[in-house]
Order: sequence, then C-alpha cells, then structure tokens
Amino acid sequence: MGAAQSGPKITAQDRAVLDLKIQRDKVRQYQKRIEVVLDAEKRVAKESLAAGRKDRALIALRRRKYQEQLLVKTDQQLETLESLVSSVEFSLVQKDVMFGLQQGNSVLKEMHKEMSLEQVERLMEDTAEAVAYQREVDEMLMSSMTVEEEEAVQRELQQLQVEQLGMPAVPETVPVGQLPEVPTTEPEHMVPETGKVQETQPEGRVALEA
Amino acid sequence: MGLELAPYQAPSGFLLPSIHSWSAFYTYQPNPRTFLTQSQDWTSLLLAYARFRRLWLLALSDADAAAAGLGEGGKGTEWAEALHNPRLRPPRTISRKILLLVIEQLIASDRAIPDPPKQTSSVVLCWRSVPEWAGVLHEWALKTGQTNTILTLFEISNPAVESELSGMPEVLLRRAIAVLARTGKAQVIEGGEGGGVRFFP
Repeated sequence: MGAAQSGPKITAQDRAVLDLKIQRDKVRQYQKRIEVVLDAEKRVAKESLAAGRKDRALIALRRRKYQEQLLVKTDQQLETLESLVSSVEFSLVQKDVMFGLQQGNSVLKEMHKEMSLEQVERLMEDTAEAVAYQREVDEMLMSSMTVEEEEAVQRELQQLQVEQLGMPAVPETVPVGQLPEVPTTEPEHMVPETGKVQETQPEGRVALEA
Repeated sequence: MGLELAPYQAPSGFLLPSIHSWSAFYTYQPNPRTFLTQSQDWTSLLLAYARFRRLWLLALSDADAAAAGLGEGGKGTEWAEALHNPRLRPPRTISRKILLLVIEQLIASDRAIPDPPKQTSSVVLCWRSVPEWAGVLHEWALKTGQTNTILTLFEISNPAVESELSGMPEVLLRRAIAVLARTGKAQVIEGGEGGGVRFFP
C-alpha cells in the first residue's frame, strides 16, 4: 500500500480526526458490551426470583444498576468526543471556505487590474460613438419614409400590441350576437389616443422596430 | 420418494429451490459431471440464502449445527433452513465433504474470503462480489455526504443510520476499499489501531 495511492497528503489534522473517531468507536463498543451485561443481569435476576432466591436477584439488580450508571457516564464521554469530532470537522470546512474566499479575492483583484479605468472609459467612448452612428442611420431611414408608410408601421405596431394583450381572442370565441358593442367602440377610441402618444415619442425608436 | 420436487417456502420467507427436496442433493455424487452441477447448485443456493438473510459467515461446523437442530439462539441455527431438510425421510443434512468442497469452490471463484486467512473451514461470504461492494460503498459515501472526511472502518460497518453496509465484516470491507483505492476513489490511512479511510467523489 501507500505507493499506488493518490489523493491529498495525510496531514496531522487527518490523523487527529482519525484518532478521535477511533476513540469514539471504542466508547461505542464498550457501551454495546455493557448493554449485553445489562440484559444478562436482568435475566439472572428474573431466574433467581423464579427460583425463590430473593437475595441473589437483589445482588443482580444492584450490579445492573451499577452498570447502568457506567452507561450514563460513557454516554457523556461519547457526547464530548462527538462534539469534539464535529467541531474539528467544522473548522476544517471553515478552513476550506477561507481558502476559497482567498482565491476568489485574488482572482477578482487580477480581473480589476485588467479592467483599468482608462480602458473602460475608452470602451465607453467607442460605445457612445457606435450609438450615435446608429441613431444617424435610423434618422436617415426615417426621412426616406413617406407619411403613409409611417402610419402603416404605427398601425402594425398597434395591432401587435392588441394581440399581445389578448384582445382578439375574445371576439373569436364569443357568439356573433354579442359582438357589436365591444369592438366598434373600443378600437376607435384607442387608435387615435395611443396614436397621439406614439407621435410625441422619439421617432427613432419606432423605426428601429421596422 | 414421499415428497414431490417442488420449491418450498421456508419459515424465514426464503423460497428453497426444488432440488432442496431431493435426498441425493445432500450426499456426495462421485460422478464428476454430476458433482459439478451439484456443487454449482449448492453455491448458488448458499449465496442466495446468505443474501436473503444477510448472513456473512459460513463455517464447516454450520452443517453439524444444522443437523443437531440447536435450540433458539444457538450458533449455526441461522443456516439450518438451507443446509438441512427435516421434511425428508430420513431428514437430510449437507455432508461435510460437500460443504468443504463447496466452500473451496466459493473461495476459488472469489465469492468467499477465508477468515481467519489460510484455512477453508470458516469464510466470509461475498454474496455481492468485492467490486460490487466497492460500488455500494462508494455510492453510500456519496449519498451520505461522507466524501473527503476521514471515516473509521467501525463507523462504516456500524453506521448510526442503518445502511446496506451494516454488519459487514472487516475483511470484506477492507477488500472493497482496496478496490476503490486502486482507482483513486479512496485513500487508506493506516492508524495505530483500526485505521481509517477517506473517500473521494
């Protein structure tokens, strides 16, 4: 063994955890042994009582009581050991977390080094230029459009918005007799209203959609 | 022959194969070819029974104990259903000769580990093969989140929460760990006493 084994090195902490756990296992085994004795003493007491030997039954019960006390004591020891094991394991986890944080921090610092302020500014300038260029293109496209075309585009947008709101779905399913009131009044009000609103908005945005 | 050859449901719930109700099954068959089938039937019966009742140890003396029909709590009685058939007339028990040969065959085919080593009268049965146990062990470590921590062997075979590995003999456990260590999925830590193991995902 040993030569072919890979994996992390066995540290002193690992050995300490192992030793603690072995101690804990020993206490557990000891408890098992006591439990067997407890059962045996109880059986002896019962048998003695059945045979009419009260004194012997009493002795057995006293021994049983003593063993029970031992069991309680070992329980306490076991608790101490187990809490020690879990706090050691927890601090190992904490150590790992610390290491992870450290690494993350150094990576972040390096990233910041690469992202110097000047570079960011230059990049932002470039972006602003690109935006301006895009706007110019939009305006040129807009001016090449007639008023009717623009209106058609607006109508199309309107229709899309209505569809998105799920409006047309209603008239399709509702019986024909109930239709007239709803569709005739609403669209007529809505078209001019929203149309005005659209006109006041910057025109570049609308043209982008087309 | 008073008994029909039919599977029999033992009191433990294990379904004994029909051959278990055949008298000749319990005596050594001198014909090599017949014996081959006989020993194969015995090995599969013993492994299936061990698996069903989660029995780990098989000893040559279990045959005698089964025949003697030791009382409640007596050692060896757990094998009685498989090694002994009281419903036959006269009742039959596997002969020591067959049991010895069967145990030797189990050892030869890696389905049993001599414990203590270098003898053939007491073995730990591998009703799952050692690589299969290695898989179960690794799966358990993953599922219970026990990778990368040090575990003692006692802790694995006596877990606080009952598992497939409960009660597993140390010999078998060590073999399974060795399989995992070979593929870098476990690391054995030799301690002063007992020793430990660390699993990797």
